[in-house]
Parts: sequence; C-alpha cells; structure tokens
Amino acid sequence: MTLDNRDNMDNDVGAKSVGAVLVVGGGIGGMQAALDLANSGFKVYMVEAKPAIGGAMAQLDKTFPTNDCSMCIMSPKLVECGRHLNIEVIPNSEVTGLDGSPGDFTVTVKTRARYIDPHRCTGCGLCAEHCPVSAARDAFNAGLSSRPSVYIDYPQAVPLAYTIDRETCIGCGLCENICMAGAVRYDDAASTRELNVGAIILALGFEPYDPGQMAEYGYGRYPNVVTSVEFERILSASGPFEGRVLRPSDGDIPRKIAFIQCVGSRDRSCGNEYCSSVCCMYASKEAVIAKEHAPGVEPTIFYMDMRSYGKGFDSYIERAKSEYGVRYIRTRVADISEVPETNNLIVSYEDEVGRVVTEEFDLVVLSVGLEPPKSAAGLARALGIELDEYGFARTGTFDPVETSRPGVFVCGAMQGPKDIPETVTQASGAAGAAAALLASARGSLVREKTYPPEKDLRGKGPRIGVFVCHCGINIGGVVDVPAVVEYARTLPHVVYAERNLYTCSQDTQKRIQEKIQEHGLTRVVVASCTPRTHEPLFQETIREAGLNHYLFAMANIRDQCSWVHMHEPELATEKAKDLVRMAVARAALLEPLERLPIPVKHSALIIGGGLAGMTAALDVARQGFEVHLVEREGELGGHLNRIYFTLKGEDVQERLRDLIRRIDGEPLIHVYPGCVVTEIAGYVGNFKSKIAPVGGGIEAEVEHGVVIVATGAGEFKPDKYLYGEDPRVITQSELEELLATGKIQPGSRAASTGTGRTFVMIQCVGSREGERNYCSRICCSEAVKNALRLKAADPEANIYVLYRDIRTYGEREVYFQRARAAGVVFIRYPEDEPPVVEPVAGPEVEQGGKGKPVGELRVVVRDTLLGSKVAIPADMVVLAAAIVPNDSNRELAQMLKVPLDDNGFFLEAHMKLRPVDFATEGVFLAGLAHAPKSIDETVAQAHAAAARACTVLSLEEIRSDGIKSEVNKARCSGCGMCVDVCQYKAIELDFKERVAKINAALCKGCGACAATCRCGAITLKGFTDEEILAEVNAI
Amino acid sequence: MKMNQEGEWEPKIVAFLCNWCSYAGADLAGTSRIQYPPNVRVIRVPCSGRVDPLLILKCLQRGADGVLVSGCHPGDCHYIAGNYLARRKFAMLKRLIEYLGVEEGRVQFSWVSAAEGEKFADVIKTVTRRVRELGPARKLVKVREMQGGAGASL
Amino acid sequence: MESETFEPKIVAFLCNWCSYAGADLAGTSRLYYPANVRAIRVMCSGRVDPAMMIRPFIDGADGVLVLGCHFGDCHYLTGNYQTDQRVRIVWEVLRQVGVDPGRLHLDWVSAAEGARFAEIVEEFCNRMRHMGPLQASLPSGPLPYDLPLALAIAAEIVEGERFRWLLGRLRELREQGSVYGERIDAARLEQLVRDVIAEEYVRAGVQVLAAREPLSVKDMASKLGLAARDVLKQVAYLKKRGVLDIYDVRQQSPRYQSTTRIGVDDLG
Repeated sequence: MTLDNRDNMDNDVGAKSVGAVLVVGGGIGGMQAALDLANSGFKVYMVEAKPAIGGAMAQLDKTFPTNDCSMCIMSPKLVECGRHLNIEVIPNSEVTGLDGSPGDFTVTVKTRARYIDPHRCTGCGLCAEHCPVSAARDAFNAGLSSRPSVYIDYPQAVPLAYTIDRETCIGCGLCENICMAGAVRYDDAASTRELNVGAIILALGFEPYDPGQMAEYGYGRYPNVVTSVEFERILSASGPFEGRVLRPSDGDIPRKIAFIQCVGSRDRSCGNEYCSSVCCMYASKEAVIAKEHAPGVEPTIFYMDMRSYGKGFDSYIERAKSEYGVRYIRTRVADISEVPETNNLIVSYEDEVGRVVTEEFDLVVLSVGLEPPKSAAGLARALGIELDEYGFARTGTFDPVETSRPGVFVCGAMQGPKDIPETVTQASGAAGAAAALLASARGSLVREKTYPPEKDLRGKGPRIGVFVCHCGINIGGVVDVPAVVEYARTLPHVVYAERNLYTCSQDTQKRIQEKIQEHGLTRVVVASCTPRTHEPLFQETIREAGLNHYLFAMANIRDQCSWVHMHEPELATEKAKDLVRMAVARAALLEPLERLPIPVKHSALIIGGGLAGMTAALDVARQGFEVHLVEREGELGGHLNRIYFTLKGEDVQERLRDLIRRIDGEPLIHVYPGCVVTEIAGYVGNFKSKIAPVGGGIEAEVEHGVVIVATGAGEFKPDKYLYGEDPRVITQSELEELLATGKIQPGSRAASTGTGRTFVMIQCVGSREGERNYCSRICCSEAVKNALRLKAADPEANIYVLYRDIRTYGEREVYFQRARAAGVVFIRYPEDEPPVVEPVAGPEVEQGGKGKPVGELRVVVRDTLLGSKVAIPADMVVLAAAIVPNDSNRELAQMLKVPLDDNGFFLEAHMKLRPVDFATEGVFLAGLAHAPKSIDETVAQAHAAAARACTVLSLEEIRSDGIKSEVNKARCSGCGMCVDVCQYKAIELDFKERVAKINAALCKGCGACAATCRCGAITLKGFTDEEILAEVNAI
Repeated sequence: MKMNQEGEWEPKIVAFLCNWCSYAGADLAGTSRIQYPPNVRVIRVPCSGRVDPLLILKCLQRGADGVLVSGCHPGDCHYIAGNYLARRKFAMLKRLIEYLGVEEGRVQFSWVSAAEGEKFADVIKTVTRRVRELGPARKLVKVREMQGGAGASL
Repeated sequence: MESETFEPKIVAFLCNWCSYAGADLAGTSRLYYPANVRAIRVMCSGRVDPAMMIRPFIDGADGVLVLGCHFGDCHYLTGNYQTDQRVRIVWEVLRQVGVDPGRLHLDWVSAAEGARFAEIVEEFCNRMRHMGPLQASLPSGPLPYDLPLALAIAAEIVEGERFRWLLGRLRELREQGSVYGERIDAARLEQLVRDVIAEEYVRAGVQVLAAREPLSVKDMASKLGLAARDVLKQVAYLKKRGVLDIYDVRQQSPRYQSTTRIGVDDLG
C-alpha cells in the first residue's frame, strides 16, 4: 500500500490546498520539520504533549560521535521555533481527530490546562522555589530527583513558562501570591480547537524501554542499577548531580561501571526483536564522558555485536578503547545480584570460551532500547495510519517518510529506532514531502513582518537610552537597580534611563518604543539577562521604532552578575555599573549596519542522477522549481541499476523505471546524461556553473540558486580471497544480479558458475580494515537478504556467513533472526585472523570449453565460538565488498569549497543537526556521497536535501547578517594573510589593485581576518576595534 | 586601583569570551547559580579568533590586572577554526609578554564550552586567584607613561 | 543533678490580655505554683513564632509553655487559632528531630482563670520533672545523633522559608479549601505537612552537619539516621543552590562542607 502512496498523492490533492502543516511532536525531528516548512513559506502548528518542546535530545548530556553538548547545539533551533512568526507552538496538547483529505485536513487538538499563562510567565522560578510540594517525580531527570508541583522541565525550555502539575498540586495558592508577573491562572481549563492544515507530520519520537520488567537485572530493586537515560542525566551538567558521576545509593564516585547492552532490544522475550540502533554508540559515549568527568572510572561494556555502523562511529569506538581505556566484552550478561553491605553489584556472564565469570561493579548502567511512544497507538487510530508489528509507523523502503494515509508523513524514531542525524534527515525529508504536496499554497498563510523606514541619524550624535531590568528579584534581589539607573544617567551620551520589573515583557517593549520617540534616542542599551537569548527581541523592538537593528547593546547583569555573586550585593552592584558603562561606551560608537539583500535564482543544480539525485530532482520540481540534473553515465540510476530487490522484498528495478519515467515526464527537470560539471562559481542564491559532456564537447552554462551533491559512491573491487582469479568468488551485488536474472539456481550445479549447495559469505571485505576504517553499513543486511533469497530458492542450501559483527540495525535485525531460524550459519571470525579461501586439489573439471582446471574451493576460518579453525568446502564464495568514495570527490569538493572527511566522503556542516547541509550556504548533500547507507536512508536524505534547498529557493531574496568584515583599501598591503585564515573563502586578493576583497555574501563575521590583519585595514562591522576598545577603556 | 570595602586591592580582569561557547558557558554558570568572584568584566566577541593580541596588551595598558581569552574547545568552533587561530596567536603573545616582563599568569587562555558553566566558574576562580597572587599589574602602565599614547595605532 | 531533686527550667509565653492577666490573678490570689517558670509576656500568643518555641530548648529550657486566650476570646480576633496551628506543626518538627513533643505545651487561660493558670503550670512542671532534664534525655527513636544537633536542625527547619509559607497558609487551606475551589482532605494536608517537615529535616540536617565539618553523604546519613540515597538527593539539591561545596574526595566519597555559617551559632 505504501509503495503507491506517491502516485496516490499526486492524484489525490483536491482543488483546495491549505498552506499550513501540522507537526505533531516538538523534539528535534518535529523542530527541524517545522523550521524547514516555516522557512519555505508554510504556516506550521506544532503540537507537543509536554509543557515544553525539546524532546529527548534536551535530556542528553553529549551526543556521539562528536561529543557535542546536546543542549548547546539544539538551543538555537529551540529559540527559533519559539520566536518564529509562522510557527505556532501548542504545548500540553494532543491530536484527537482528523478529517478531510490530503491538501485540506481538519485536525482536532485538545489542550490541557496549564494553570500558568505562558505569555506572562517569565520563567523566574520563584513559584517553584516556594511550592510546598516537592516530592513529585522529576521525569526530566528520569526520576533521579524530585520536583515541585509547579515546574519547568529545563531552564532553556520553549515556551519558557512554568506549569502546574494538577495531580500533585494541593492548591495552596502560594505561587499566585509570589508571582510578580501575575501569570498564575487557577481557573485555566482544558480546551479544544480545530486546525485547517494541508498535511501532517508525525514526529512523536520514542520512549525508553522500562527494564523493571526484567527481573534478572534488578532494576528498581538495586539502587545502583540505573538506565542509560538516568546515567545521561547523571552526566549532564544540568542534571541532578551537576555532571558529577555519583552513584545513587550513597553519592560515592563509582570506580567500576558496567554497561549492559541490548536491554529491551534484540530480545524476543520482551517483544522487541528489533535492534534499537543507537545503544552501542550511546553506551560508548557515556563511558567516554564518564571517564572525562571522573578520570578514575573504569567502564566496561558488555555487548553482543558492536553496531557502530554510522559515519565516524567505528573510529569513535577505537578511540574509546585506546584513549579512554573502555573495556568491551562480548557476552550476554545472565544475572546481576547485589552485595547488601556496599550496594555493589555482582555481574555474572559467560566469557568467550564459555566459562561463567563473576565480577563486582560499583554501578551498572542498562542500555535500554527504544520503543514506540505509548501515545502512538491512540494517535494512529485517530489519524487512521498503520503501525507495524512493533508499533512503529509502517513505511516502505522507497517511501520512508510516508505513512499509509496520504498527506500524513512521519519522521524520526516513530518510524523506527534511529539516531539524531537520521531523525533530522527524515524530518527535513518529511517537510519536503509535505511542501511538495502543498506547493501551490506556498505563502498563502504566512505572515511577513513589515517595518517602518529607518530614521536618518546622520549628523545626530549618540543619544542613548538605558533600560535596567529588575527581572523580578533575579537582578533586583542582589543588585541595587535604582543605584545602577542613577549611575547610568551620569554616563556620557545617556539622555534617558529607567528601570523595569521585566524589561523583556510585552508592555516594556512598547514603552521602549515610546521612549525612543519621546527622547529622540538613537541607541538603546538594555541591562538585563543574556544577549544570546534576548538580543533579537530587543533588536526587533528598536527596529519597529525605526532604529537600525545594530544600534543596540546589552549588559548582562543577571546571568553573569546577580546570579553568580548572590552573596556579595555591593560588589555585584559595582560590577553591574561597570557592565552598563562598558555597554554605553560601546553603544556610543555603534553604527547602523545593512542586512544585504541577495536575490535568489529559483533553480537547482543536482550533481548525480542516481537514486538520491533523481529523488531530490523530483522533489524540487514538485515544489515548483527548475532542476538541472547532471549524470556522468549515459543513463540515470547509478548504483540502483545493480540492485534488484530489497530486504522487505520490494522490486527495485520496477521502482527505478518508475522514477525515470517520472523524471522524463517532468518539464521542470533538465537531464544532462553523460555530462559532468566543470565549473561552479558564485554563492548561495547566485551560482553560475558549466556543464560539459564527459570527454569534452560543447559546454552549457546554467544559473542556479542551490547545488545538491548526489554523486554516489563506488564498490570496492576485492583484492583478495581469490576474487578475480576464481569465477566462483563473487561479490554480493554480483550474486544478487545472478539471482535476479535466474543465472544461478542453487542446488542445480550450473555449468557456467559451478554452483552447488554451499555458499560462504565473507563480510567486511575492504571495510573496517587498513585505511578504510569505516563500516560500509549495508553489507550485513545485504548478506542476510541474499542468504534468505538463496534459502527460499533452495531450503537445503548450506549458507555460512563469516562476520566480525552483525550490524543489522533497526528492524533489519528481524531478518537476521529469520535467516538464523532458516538455518543460515553465522560464524564470527577474529579481526586479526581473516578467513582464507583456497583451492583444494581434486578431480579436474572441464569448464565450458575454456579448459581451465578448477578444484574444490575451501574456506578456512577461526570460529571464535569454538575457539578452533573450521574448514568449509564451498561451491561459491560471496564477498561483501566495501562502499568506497568516488575519486572525483576531491575535485568537486574544491570546486564547491566544501570539505571531505578522512575517508574521502563529503563532510556535512554538522554531524548531528545539519546532516544534509554543507557549511557553505546553498550547497546540500544526499546519498552515498555522504557515507554508505541503505535505500530508505538515501531516499530520506534526498527528500531532506531537496527540502533544505527549497528553503533557499522559495525566497525572493536572502538577507545576510550585518556583521561582516570590510577592507580599507588605503591601508591594505595585499599580503594575503586574511585570505589564509578565512575558513569561508570569503576573501580574495584582487591582483590588479593588490588589495583584499571581501565577498559580503560569504562572510560569516567571525573576525579572524580583522585580528590577523597586520596593517589594521580590516574592520569587523559590529565588533570594530574601536567598539571593543571602548569597552576595554571603560573597565 | 580598585579597592574593596576593607581597603584591600581587588584585581580587575577582562575576559574575552566567544559568543558561541564560552559566553554561553558563562550564562550557564549563571542559570546554574554557580558563584564565582566578581572581578571579571566580560567582553563578548563573535569568536576567540577575533581577539587581536593588541587588544590584550591594550587591556593591560588600561589598567586591567589580568586578561582571559576563552573560546570553544578544539573542533567545536562555530567558525570552523577560529579557536585554533586564537590559540596560535595566544602562544605567540605569551612569548612576547614574557619578553616584556609581564608575569606569567596575567594573561590566560581557556576552552569553555556552552555546557561548562561549572568549568567557567572554576576558570574565573583560578584566574582571579592567580592574578590576586601576582598583585596589581604595573609593567605595561609604565610603558604607557613613558611613551605617551602608545597603542594609538589601534 | 539527681533525678529526684531535678527542677526543670520552663519558659512560658503568656499573652498580655488573657493568660498574663490570669497569671497576675494567680498572684493576687496568692495561689501556689512552682517557681520553675520564667514567664515572657507577649501581646498575643499569635506572636509566638515557631522559632521562639524551639529557641528556649537550645538555651537550656526543659519545657516550653504557650498560653493564650480561649478560642473566640482573642483580643486580636484569631491570633490564638494561629498559635494552635503553629504549636501543632512544631510538635511535628520536634517529633521529626526526636524530641518528645510533650515538652511543648499549649493551653488557654483567661484573665479570670488564676486557678487554672496555677494548675496548668504545676501539672506541666510535674510532667517535666517526670521526663527529666532535656539535656540528659536521649532523642527518642533510633537516631544516633545528639541533642544539640537535633535542636539546631529543628531551629533550622522552622526558620525555613518554605516551611513558614506553608504554615502561614494552612488555616485558610483547611477552612476555605484549595484555590481550585475544592475542599482539601485533612489527611492529605497532614501528610503534606509531614512530607515538608521530613524533607526540610534532611536539608537542615545536612546544612547543620556540613557547617560543623566536611562530611560524605554516607557520614551524614548515619548521623541523621537516614538512608544514604535520600540524603544524596538533598545534598545534590543544596549543592546546586550553592549552600554546599565539595571539600575533598576521600576514598571514592566526596565530602561536602557548608559555604555559609548556618547553624554554627546554634551549636555554641
């Protein structure tokens, strides 16, 4: 059913198309989808069950494999969602009904009472501090601490507003008495509303498995057995122990920590046969971070297969072993018992040779699996979508973001266990699919902000207004605010100063605007919290009053003053005065900056006509933009030409023909077969490129606003195991072709191939060894797929798979289990002792007239389970050849000024949150060019790249930030130092004038050039030397 | 020179914090209410790579007793490699100020991520303690007195 | 001091309008009552703060009497209701720290009840004689810690802001119901009070202990007679609030000390 969705969708969109999309779930997936849609002309409603968006990622301390701080990388998206003019966040709510058809749905949303007005609440937290109830379970800290009845999950929450938990609240009324913002609403009630949207994106995420159901691990009984979610909170700086590694029983620092893998995953007894995809990596990350936080920690990870299949994952595990001393033991832990006196834990397991070993640990972490969210079943019923047998949304390999109901899309862990980048990719993909469906309604429901013209300030000296915030008692309780205001009045250029209870409140914004008019202010200084969260708000405020965004300065007298010097009010007041003086000194020098408009060319260049390129091309075209699709080969299809069926059994060639047919029928797509891109010039919105036939010929020149790199990858040509020497040694894709074309019939000894009944598959040929220290990700599933095919054709066939780790992640695991049940034998060989394929002397056989004598083939392997060598006579040896990056990547990378990773694949802008973007704006990435991946992952990534590209293409013009570097030609000596330090290739030397020239569209405003320039010729506008020195002088 | 209520000298320290990591870390110290000495005056810059060594010298000339430059951890730089540039500049500057006779420890460099509120507070505590031990900065003030308006080239 | 000859020290808070007048009447009537009582006149029994009920014990009293007007007679209308509420909650606090709540007695004496005053005082005095000196009494219950600590914790609890907010609100809650317009079940309210006191007890205990010397969570737990994991929660909470700091790590156990001087004075 899902297979045909795309076609259905094309036909089903009725006459009316609504330019709004409902996103259900406000985790990282939901946020990404919402931002992509809102930034390409659609109104978004984001329904979140919890009081704040942020989801599971907000709970994480760090993220693998970069060890990025989870909150830091996510909070810009949080803030953007919260502030976006066209995203309406509807927290505390759920979807209860759906009517209508794709393009025009009516959704019923029920909102629970919050009892706090989120528009008034400032998040100061006084209510929580005084709430008499404090014993409610703090779910955000996974129950490791308690919280009051009035609470907020985390300090950066969006909306930044408290919630009363009516379950535990006794209704004493203290919070209302203490709330200075007047935000408490005890008469709040649940409400229901109906939303009219064109499409729906489901991003409910997952729920961690509850190990209380497994008696053998003692979770819930032994205090020092914790889940990985709890341990993540223990590691987090915002967690219960502020990031100190302490064990729950007594607050001691654990020395020996055991991680137990596959708790609630790969386990038929708990109903979760699938692999949760992320646990091997997060356990390794937690072990590494624990070691960083407490160097004495000795972590041990008990695992079955190390599933570090993603980009950069294997090298992360290597580092965990070699640099951090993390111990990995391959076993299944049988039992955990407690030493009552110490609360230490005895872990018993079988070692590699089958002896039962017991070992004492101070703390045990259960790596719990991912389950579908409990609310998914109800939602699926309300929306009429199908779930699979485990409760994840059912999708097809070629339609990974489409549910069984047209117009309803899905992304993230709700579709199956997956990590953050896969989630973000699918989220962008789902957004792209929704945008394509609703392309005709783009821009119909969005609001655009309009501003009054900027005042002409020429000839007017600085007239500065200072607004000092009490922030309830957050600042005023420590700093003597009236004294600061008095002091501010004495500073040069200050013509007005006042204090506010909350400078950020809506009414104060109006007041600031009135004061700007009343006193003819030309610069505004706010002394309050941090510019990181509030600068845009105040900038917006003064812009609305006709002042340029950049005529604003902020003094951080809360986060960096009153909150951190609570016991020294006099010194804090002195510091606050200093900070205000510095901000005023800076403000006096500020100048209006321009946010340069850059017009956008509404077409895309897509390089590579394989699955990724074709999918992206169709998406971009369906969104209404022109596409130039360049394919090196004479025909479209790329890698897909050699794939015949999927693990789930779908017919790949049929899908391929369908794709090509649709490309041919799409007038907006121009295909350039047998061509390559020879030159790319320009920048986001304005590229100009040359396309030429391979081997030379007439070049075409095209103009385009974005580039999508979808150049694919190659297959490693094995250089061992007699490949190329013996015709009976082939690769998995060769086997697949033979199977699909009927050239091989297991059981019948075909003369051409010599096939009998015994197949030996060797994994990791060219992967995870030598310089290619990465995993090719798909080979295990391919082996399982082909083994199942062979078994289906001939149940008597003997199939051996020689592997290092079986990496059938996610629901692929189910097929691995099926293969085992079907009698496929899996033998693990040691990394340092690969199998040997050798001919055995025997009766010579005449081969198809070639007269080449061939004996029996034999594969010798050390079986790690038996501990001895095994010789398997083989009729056919099948090699899982690695996926290798194209040699041409380097050339293209240089052309586009984008980086490659150590292995030669393209390197995305951010491993976690920008998986299909490059750091260079306007250039996107999809498919095997990024890293090895499966068909569904490629399709999702192609949708995502297209969606991201369309956020640019749907703009008439791009406005860049005003903070840019500028060259004073008279001072520039043309030395070129700045050219070297600029990471964005924004500076070029003009050889005619012998001066540096800065391309404002490429400049990101880091200021490295200004700090490097030897003759003071470069100025970073907004952070000029004068402005910084003014601050220095004011200290 | 800054004196506290008891008439004792209080060091004044300028901290250049990059907007994306260290400044955010300083904010986190605030939201976590981690207390540290009030001797530091923060100047926010887009990237630690923006901090020209001259700015640091200028701080010492203008009466700062210590200067801290703090950026993202290696690999975390919002601008790809600005923190490496900062580190290189800093290594060079350290040698220069050593040559000038400014005590080691007056000018310090650290990595503080947006998640390290506690580390930020620790860095401030350490820097303040070190500078307090060193006493008021005098070296570069003399230079300024001798040369009149040195640094006017900035 | 022998127990037979033990003479308890008793502090009595007398309200100006009723009980103080009653005491005067006892005097003018030449009624006998024991000399152990040191009377402190207050304008209203409602003036007697929970902290005032604890403080005499720290300063060496063996018993504390609070005497006010009869219900309905209060010169300030409802001051004595407040007192009633407070004494009940202070009993909970005393019980929590292991001091016999019987050492704090509340009663009503009108200006006309000189005899009643003498009776109450004598009875209470006898009770105190029977209980013996507070300083020599072991805290009841399984707690291994000492009396000065127990009293310091009690004082700390009743000074706590959250405790006092709740206390100030209890009567309204009981009589007028919740802000959601619902009646609050008395048992639920009592449970809440007990929970708050129990939690404040751990917090105060940790603060008082950590002000004396650096201690690990395990040390504190054994001194307070609590499970280490419950102490850890509050230690973590107080650490976050900046009240505690890590002093050092001994073996694998971080030891915490107070960043303020809370409780030290009370320990003398």
